[in-house]
Order: sequence, then C-alpha cells, then structure tokens
Amino acid sequence: MEGAMATDISVMGLFPDEQKTASTIEAMAGYPWKIDQVHSPFPSHRILDALKVKKSPLGWITLAGGILGFISGFCLAIYTGLEWKLIVWGKPVLAWFPFVIVGFEFTILFSVIANVLGLIVLANLPDYKGLDKYDPRCSGEYFGIVVACDQQDQEKVVDFFKNQGGEARVFE
Amino acid sequence: MSDSSQLTYAEIDRTVLDTLRPPSGGYWLVIMVLILGVLVGASCWAYQIFVGIGAGGQNIPVAWGTYLINFVFWVGIAHSGTLISAILYLMRAGWRNPIARAAETMTVFAVSIAGLFPFIHLGRVWLVYYMLPYPNQRLLWPNFQSPLVFDVVAISTYLTVSSLFWYTGLLPDLAAVRDRATGLRQKIFTILSLGWTGKHEQWRHYTRGYLFFAALATPLVVSVHSVVSWDFALSTVPGWHSTIFAPYFVAGAIHSGLAMVLTLMIPMRKILRFEKIVTMKILEAVAKTIIFTGLIVGYAYGIEYFLAWYSNNIVEQEAFRWRAVGDYSLEFWIMVVCNSIVPLLFFFKRIRTSIGWLFSISILVNIGMWYERFVIIIGSVAHDFIPHAWGLYWPSGIEWGIMLGSFSLFFLLFLLFAKHLPSISMTEMKETLDHGGGHGD
Repeated sequence: MEGAMATDISVMGLFPDEQKTASTIEAMAGYPWKIDQVHSPFPSHRILDALKVKKSPLGWITLAGGILGFISGFCLAIYTGLEWKLIVWGKPVLAWFPFVIVGFEFTILFSVIANVLGLIVLANLPDYKGLDKYDPRCSGEYFGIVVACDQQDQEKVVDFFKNQGGEARVFE
Repeated sequence: MSDSSQLTYAEIDRTVLDTLRPPSGGYWLVIMVLILGVLVGASCWAYQIFVGIGAGGQNIPVAWGTYLINFVFWVGIAHSGTLISAILYLMRAGWRNPIARAAETMTVFAVSIAGLFPFIHLGRVWLVYYMLPYPNQRLLWPNFQSPLVFDVVAISTYLTVSSLFWYTGLLPDLAAVRDRATGLRQKIFTILSLGWTGKHEQWRHYTRGYLFFAALATPLVVSVHSVVSWDFALSTVPGWHSTIFAPYFVAGAIHSGLAMVLTLMIPMRKILRFEKIVTMKILEAVAKTIIFTGLIVGYAYGIEYFLAWYSNNIVEQEAFRWRAVGDYSLEFWIMVVCNSIVPLLFFFKRIRTSIGWLFSISILVNIGMWYERFVIIIGSVAHDFIPHAWGLYWPSGIEWGIMLGSFSLFFLLFLLFAKHLPSISMTEMKETLDHGGGHGD
C-alpha cells in the first residue's frame, strides 16, 4: 500500500462516487499494481476499510502530552508554592485540591498541542510536493485513486479505471 | 439529519464558495461602521490608560464593573461554539454540521475579546505579565490557589485549544478554496492549507485527531466556565458564595451562546443565501436547545432564592430580597424575563419556526444574559454585609465606549471571516450527506 515500488508513472482514477471508489479499491486486489494514495473530499470509512489501513497511533501521542501536561501543571504549582511561601486565608502552602485545577488545564493544553504536533508529523504536513500528483476536483466532488505503475502498464491501468466507471489521469 | 440531505457535493461547494466572491459596497459600508465602533472603544481604552482606571465608574464597594461583566459575557458566548463543535459532535448530532464552523469561529473571536477585558480592567496594562509564572529577581510567583490565576490558565488554554480546533477543522476547506482560486489568492490558500490533498493517510490521522480535539474540548469547556464562576463563588460575598455557581454558569454560558448563534446565523443565512444548508429544522433544533438551557437557568434563579431562604442567613436573605426589589430590580427582572420566560415561547412550533421570532428572542436572551452578569457582579457587592459599606454603581461613558468597541470588534471579525473563509464546513456537509453526521471513528 504505502511506500511504493520503483515506478515510472502514476495513474489517477477519478470517481464521482464513494461506493464506487471503495469497490474499485477492492477490485484492485487481483492486480499487481500498488495503490499509492486515495484522495477524497471528506473522510471515508468505506475507503479506509477497503484499503485495510490500521488505526492511527495519534492517540498515544495525545495521551503522552496529557500525562506530561498534568505533571507539569501540578509540579509548577508545587514549585511556585514552595518558592514563595505565602499563606493566604490560612490555607496550606501546598494545597492539593486547587493544584488539581492547574494540573487539569495543563493536561488539556499539552494533550491538544501534542495532538496537533502528532497530526502534523504523522500526516506529513505541510506537504506541498503532494500537489504534483493531485487533481483539484478531489477536494470537491471526486475521489481519486493514485496507482504507481511501470510505463508498460499505463494503458492497462487506464483501461481498468475506465472499466470501473471512472476516468483516468496520468502523471508523468 | 436536516433537509440539506437533498443537496449534492457540487451544490455545497458552489453555495459556500460563492460567498467568497468580492463583496458589495454595502458590506464595506458596514465594515467601516464597525471599524468606527472599534476605534471608539480603542480611544476610550487609550484615554483610560492615560488618565488611570478611575475613568471607569468602578468604586468601593463595586470594584468590578462592566469590564468583568463583559469578560464573563464573552466567555459565555464562546461556550456554545464548543458545545456545537465538540459536544454535539461527540453525540453524533448531524444537525450541528451546517452551523459548526460559524459557532467555532464565534468561540475563537469571543474568547479573544473576553481575554482583552482583564487587560482593560488592570488599568496599568503594561504590568499584565505579572499574572504569568516566570522566574524573576523578586522571587515572586502567581498564587496558584487563587481562582483569578486559575482563570489565567483556563482562558489561555481555552483560547489556544479553540484556535487550534478551528484551524484544524478548516484545513480541508482551505484546500477546497485553494483548488478553485487563482493568482495570489491561490498562493495564500496553498500556504494556509499546508498542502492538504485529502489523501487517505491524511484522513486516517485527521479523523482521530479531530475526535481527540472534541473529546478534550468537552471537559475543557465545562472547566473554563466553572473556573470563571469560582472567581465569585470562592469569595464569601452573599450572592456569590454558592455551590451551584459552576453548573449555573455553564448552563448560562451555553444559553447565551446559543442565542448568539441564532443572532449571527439568521442574517448570515439570508445574506449569504445559505437557506438550503442552514435549514429551518436546524434553527428549530437550536431553539429547542435554548428552551432546555433556559429551563436550567430559570431553575438556578429559583434555587438561589430557595438556598437563601433555607440558609436562614439574614445577610443572604437580604441580598436576594434586594435583588428583586432594590435599586437594580429593573435589571433583575429583565434578566428573569428574558432568560427564563421569553425562551419558553419556543415551545410553540409557530414561534420557533418563524425567522422574526427566532431572531427577536435571540436578541432578548443576549440582553438578558448580559444583565444576568450585571445582577450577579454588581448587585452582590453593592449590597453585601454591612449597610455602612453599601454603595451603587453605574458604568461611565468610557466603559460604555469600550463595550461598544468590544461588540463592534466581534461583529467586525465575524463579517471579515464570513466573506474571506468558508463559513460552513463543506467537508462535514458532504460527510453528512453520506453518513448522517460526524467525521468520526
């Protein structure tokens, strides 16, 4: 699926329908060509299921951010309390319950920052080179299956997409 | 799902992208009027910085005036944006999709404006960095037991999270605009969309990331307005020192925010011709939710009186008696009528399906919620423990000017957004057509 073989060209099959795209992906299982990417205007579980992709590991990165955030927030409150031992209203210098609030807010903050950074790294963003093998209609009403193949297979791939009811576009 | 299920992908794109065409002269006229309003506010603030915080009407005992009222008001407005974009998303409520983008945007702008008010209220705004924990020669640190410092942490987190959530949600739509733009506009949107191409690898991580965003924003939104309520509830002032303040504030925040969603969406759907996407069923769903939040708010008003009576505390009882019949009784009754009685009109289908009624009631709820903060913030300290310490307050012209500036800035930012960025999520709308809502896993 990912990381493709040594190939010369890419052929994109364009389909106006999500179901048709998913069935085309499944039909490709009997052919030697490798799917490089599938573009869609919205996240499609039918397509992801047809591609048999694994669940994203982003949750673990987010979780790590959250744990780091809770520890950071709690430790910051403890450290500053110990550094400046100001007793307000007779409350102890280390007041655990109020510090949970600081720890909680930091948990959310660090989780979200980790979530965004994880998304950027895992989705390989920014990816301006990806625009070279991309059809702008794929952000509108079309779904695009990009297949990397050898020069001599080009016609076969184009025919395959046309037989499946789509149109084909070749990227040199 | 709504009637919008009859749409096609192409129609969604066309409807939303048509709104990004060059605006008319009328649009720029409104923009100019709003800029004027912002300048009035900025001038008033500049004057206050120059002559001192005494330019406001705050006094002893009422040290927190409209600056804190507006702070709480705008934080409240922000909350329903997160309700719609995160909480309803987790609940798979498909009707939220057409209004989620506008609501999220409202959140970002409202929190930004709310965040200005503590700066304004400081007077010596150049010392704002004292609120931040940073190493310094005086070995002085913020007191993390103070609800005011909780506020700094909570609001900063909320602004950061809602901005990132908003931008992440925008990415696929920025790419859609890029793909249909030319020239400089295309270059700008290419950069803004980070080269997004909707590859399955991008969607694989994006859907998980969006889900986590929603899951994290949901407890955050509850915590933020709870923290705001503790600015009051953790003191001993009668009328403030109450255990129900956190849920009461959260419900009130969502109540006001939903009303603001109607106030913004009703003209927007007419001007930008979104009638087929933002259908009457969606506005009706918002109205039904307003009935729910209005009932919670009304219950909270009632239970406050019950608690004052049941406590057998004469100071508490006097504070609440005075609210209803004292110097600020007009404000109190505006609050009660607008927030908990007027929304009940939405029980009638004829009213909640009438654009005129929806818009009028949304304005009344906005007014009522502003007065709720007035009654709580001003009314409680104006009439607390000792008659000798009682005193009245009314905002000064400078405060009204700054308030005008804040409202102008909010509507200015929203209008700029509506004509320059996709104000409806095309991605989520297309997803709605296929799945009945949500990005989700």
